[in-house]
Parts: sequence; C-alpha cells; structure tokens
Amino acid sequence: MEAKGLTFAYGRRSVLREVNVSLWPGEVVALLGPNGSGKSTLIKVLLGHLHAAGQVSWEAKPLAEWTRRRLARRVAYLAQSPAWDGEQRVGEVLRLGRAPYWTAFGIESETDIQVIRAVAEMLGLANLLGRRMDEISGGQRQRVFLGRCLAQQPAAMLLDEPNTFLDLKHQVELCRLLRRLAKDDGVAVLMASHDLNLAGAFADRVVLLADGKVVADGPVREVMRAEVLAGVYGVGMEVIERPGGGAVVVPRVDGSDSPFS
Amino acid sequence: MRRWGWGSLVLTIGGSVLVWAVLAAASLCVGSSGDLGWPGRQVYEIRSEWVYMASLVGAALAAAGVVYQAILRNPLADPYLLGISSGASLFAYLWRFPVVAGVLGVLSTSSGRALSQQAFAFAGAMVAVAVVFTLASSRGRLEPITLLLVGVIVNAVNGSIFLLISELAKDLPNSGGPMTFLVGRIQTNLTPAQEWAAAWVIGVGWAVLLYLSGELSVAVLGTAEAEALGVRIQRLRWIGLIVASLVTASAVAISGPIGFVGLVCPHLARLMVGTDHRKVFPVATGLGAGLLAVADAGSRFMARETMAGTWPAVGVVTGLVGGPFFLALLWRTRLSGIEE
Repeated sequence: MEAKGLTFAYGRRSVLREVNVSLWPGEVVALLGPNGSGKSTLIKVLLGHLHAAGQVSWEAKPLAEWTRRRLARRVAYLAQSPAWDGEQRVGEVLRLGRAPYWTAFGIESETDIQVIRAVAEMLGLANLLGRRMDEISGGQRQRVFLGRCLAQQPAAMLLDEPNTFLDLKHQVELCRLLRRLAKDDGVAVLMASHDLNLAGAFADRVVLLADGKVVADGPVREVMRAEVLAGVYGVGMEVIERPGGGAVVVPRVDGSDSPFS
Repeated sequence: MRRWGWGSLVLTIGGSVLVWAVLAAASLCVGSSGDLGWPGRQVYEIRSEWVYMASLVGAALAAAGVVYQAILRNPLADPYLLGISSGASLFAYLWRFPVVAGVLGVLSTSSGRALSQQAFAFAGAMVAVAVVFTLASSRGRLEPITLLLVGVIVNAVNGSIFLLISELAKDLPNSGGPMTFLVGRIQTNLTPAQEWAAAWVIGVGWAVLLYLSGELSVAVLGTAEAEALGVRIQRLRWIGLIVASLVTASAVAISGPIGFVGLVCPHLARLMVGTDHRKVFPVATGLGAGLLAVADAGSRFMARETMAGTWPAVGVVTGLVGGPFFLALLWRTRLSGIEE
C-alpha cells in the first residue's frame, strides 16, 4: 500500500496535511501520535471511508478501482470500539468476517466454515463459539473482533488502537499474534497506538503523526528518540536503551522540563 | 457450526411456512359468530379470505420491520411507528377521490386501477419517509428516539388530515369504514385485482429483501465496519428503505395502517433463531403472517360480544398487544442504552 499527499479536513479544521505513508507485506508498522493527531482519520482515508485529496493505492491499484467487496478480501479493519450486540453469539460474529466472500442470499461455501474454524482455533475461541457476546470478558471480545478481521483472510490489517480495552497480558498476546501473522503469513499490519513502549517493542517501523503531518517515519531506533517524542507529545521524554535491543520511553514526571521549575 | 447453504435457506423458509400454516389453521377455526372448530365448505370460503389477507399483510409488515430495524440500527423501528404506514394510508385514501379517479380514468382496467392504488400508497409512504427522516436527522445523524417521536407526530397529523377530508367530503366512497384509515382492518370487499396486485408487489419486494438478508446482518454493525466487510452500506440503506416502504405501502393500501406487527415479530424471531438476519428475515415473515391471522381471528371472535354483530378492527388487537410490548422494549433499551 502506498499513499501520497493525503490532505483532509473536517469542515475548516484540517486533519491531514500532505501525508505520505506506505505499508509492505510482512511488516508491522506502529502509527503513533497524540490525541487528535489524525491517526484514526488516516486509517479511514486509507480504507476509502473518507475521501481525501491525494492518492491511495493498494497493490499498485488506485483505491477508486477497487470495489468494496474486493478490497474487503484484501484489507481488514478493526475499529477503535467495534459495535456489538450482547445477544449475538461469538460464532455469528466470526461468520460476518466471511461476508465479502458470500454469494447471493448470504450463501456460504465450505471454505468459509473451514476458515472460521481455523481462526477460532488459532485465537483460542473454539470453545466459545456458542457463547453470547455479553457472557465473555472484554479481552475475549477483542479477540472475537480480531478473529472477524482474520476471517477475511486479509493481506493487510489496519487496527485502530486495538489495545484500548485490554489488560497488559492481553496487549502483549495481541502484539505477539500480529507479529506472528506478519512473519508467517506475510500480513502487513498498521496499528494506531498510544502505547509507545509496546509499539517500540513490537513494530518494525514507526510512523509518527503530529497535527496531521508525518513527523518521522523509520525504524524504531531512529524515531523513538527523546527530542523527537518530546516535540510531538509536549512532554519531556527519556529513552532508555534495553540491553536486548529496543528501547523504553518514559515521560519525565519530575517536571524538570517545565518552564516553571 | 453449520454452513449456510441453499439447503439451510430452503429449510428455514420451510420452517417459517410451517409456523404460519399452524397459526393460519388455528385462525380458520374461529368464526365471527363465536363458533369454534374447522369450518364447513361454504364457511371456509369466507374465512379463508380473511386468513389469507391477514397473512399477506402480516408478512409484509413483519418483513419491513426487520429491514427498518437493521438499516436504522434501531430496535424500536416499525413501519407504523415511523409514520410510513399513515402516509401510505392517507394517499391510498386520496386515491378514492372522484377527481383522482377521473385522472386515472385512463387506467380503466381493474388491474390498472389496482396498481395505481398501489403506486399512490407507495408515493405516500415515500413522502412520509422524506418528511420523517428530514425532520429527525441532525447533522447527518438519526437519533433513534427522535425518529420515532417524529414518526408518531406524522401519524397524528396524517390522521387529522384524513378526518378533516372525510368530514368535508362525506359522500366519498369508503371501503371498510372510515376507521380503516386510522386503525387498520383486514378487508374482504377488495377486487381480486387489488388482492393480486398487493400479493405481487409484496412477493417481489420480499424476494429482493431476502436476497439482501446477509448484508443486513453486516449493516447492524455500523457504517465503517460494514464498509470494511465489503458492504456498500449507503446503497444498502437506500435500497432497504425504499423496498421495505414499498412492501409496507402495498399492505397498507389494502388494509390501512396496522401497528406493531413489524415491531413485535422481528423480536420474537430473534428470540427463536438468534441475530443472523438470514434466519431472522424469513422466520419473522412467517410469524408476522401467522400472528396477524390469529389477531384477526381474535378480533372476529369479539363480534359475539358486540351488539351490532360487527367486530373491532385488527389494528385494535395489535395495538393492545403491541403497545405494551413496545413500552417493555423501550424500558429495556433505556436501561442498556442505545448506541449512537
């Protein structure tokens, strides 16, 4: 996926300015930036839910040439807070991931069922298929939504803050799973996140957005530098190199960066 | 987990027909003189027309209800509460004016007249849709409760317009009594052409909606997620809204606005078969057909208690049953909160 010169505004408020991003098979890209920096908007533009100036192309084909259905077989999207109905069964939710493959009257193929079984197995949901959505935990629910995305058998996944409602253990599990998908199946993953450290630990590349502009785009080591992050987040930052590689970012909470100190 | 194939579709429709058949058979056993039991041949002729007409109308309203609830993501939606039925009803009434009839004189065949009545009701439904949706939307969003509030007010205004016109023009040819246009009633003084026109329009519309039933399950998720799952959601909403309103109008043209069938049946169907619209749609249709036949039989049974040998319109029965159902649902939804 490549996008060039994306510019978008809600009314007069400009949200994206000349954004260029790319996403390649097998890589995990973290999309970082403060609230209101345009992360969610960028994802919606890449999916064609919002129309922005500039060009987005998936697999070297401009977005306009994709039908919704064809794109849904290649690109999956996990919303920030996916809509759910407590009465719905886990199996029913997973099935909807195959909607881009259904024929008229919603008729399914054998493949559809096999894919859903495999996804349920992989995410440890096989025993929950008959459960209602309001009977399972928040972490399990998030896995169901992820499963719906995987059922699409996508070549790329765009995730909007998938960690929001997860505890630490589930966050790490989710990131491990995404890594595995990228490595084993060559899935391209773009994940908007607030968590600098998790992103630093799991991403191959970081795209840093601020005020609708790409401030930095590169390997974790290059982007996750104290002066870059401090400028974007407006808080003093300290980057601690980890012995095994990677880095940990901590904001300075002692106020030593404050003009009042 | 079972694959949803053609066999499942046929079985589900078959099961729905069976549900209808049982309820319809029970309705056939209820007579207006208060007698119960399987009718003799002559009585069967009369009663079966009631049952078939009620079934046709009930099926149409329930099917439309499923679609409105899905595309509006509103569990309280119903063709009657949205004001669509009353719009169709008012226009179906205007169609009876001699002036209108004169203009339509070119359509002198009975099927042409029947179709023009259908077209009139559909136009009324679409006018009501336009008014209700314009007034209820603010900045492109439809607030669920506001939508119903506007719908109910449109109902009231349409009812007043109707009463005013019927007062001013007393000599208008009425069919089924003036109340028919306020509270729906199953009519048997229809021409065969009217009955067939309605049956065809409802049948074709129903098939189109069944075709879309898979996408309706996805539509419930909301705009962004439905699009990400390959559904052209705006197009689906428009087609759903127009075809469901066509089916509603077609039923209302022959029966007047019968309330709550389209609200209750989708919920009962979901209780029976879950949330997958590929199942909910046919099952709700079968339930709608059967239950309206039963409700009509119930109103017929009350004839024994009345002096004149007449009986209350079936809309009275559905209102008495469906109203409390709506309130219970409203109470429950307010507890859990409607999204958006």
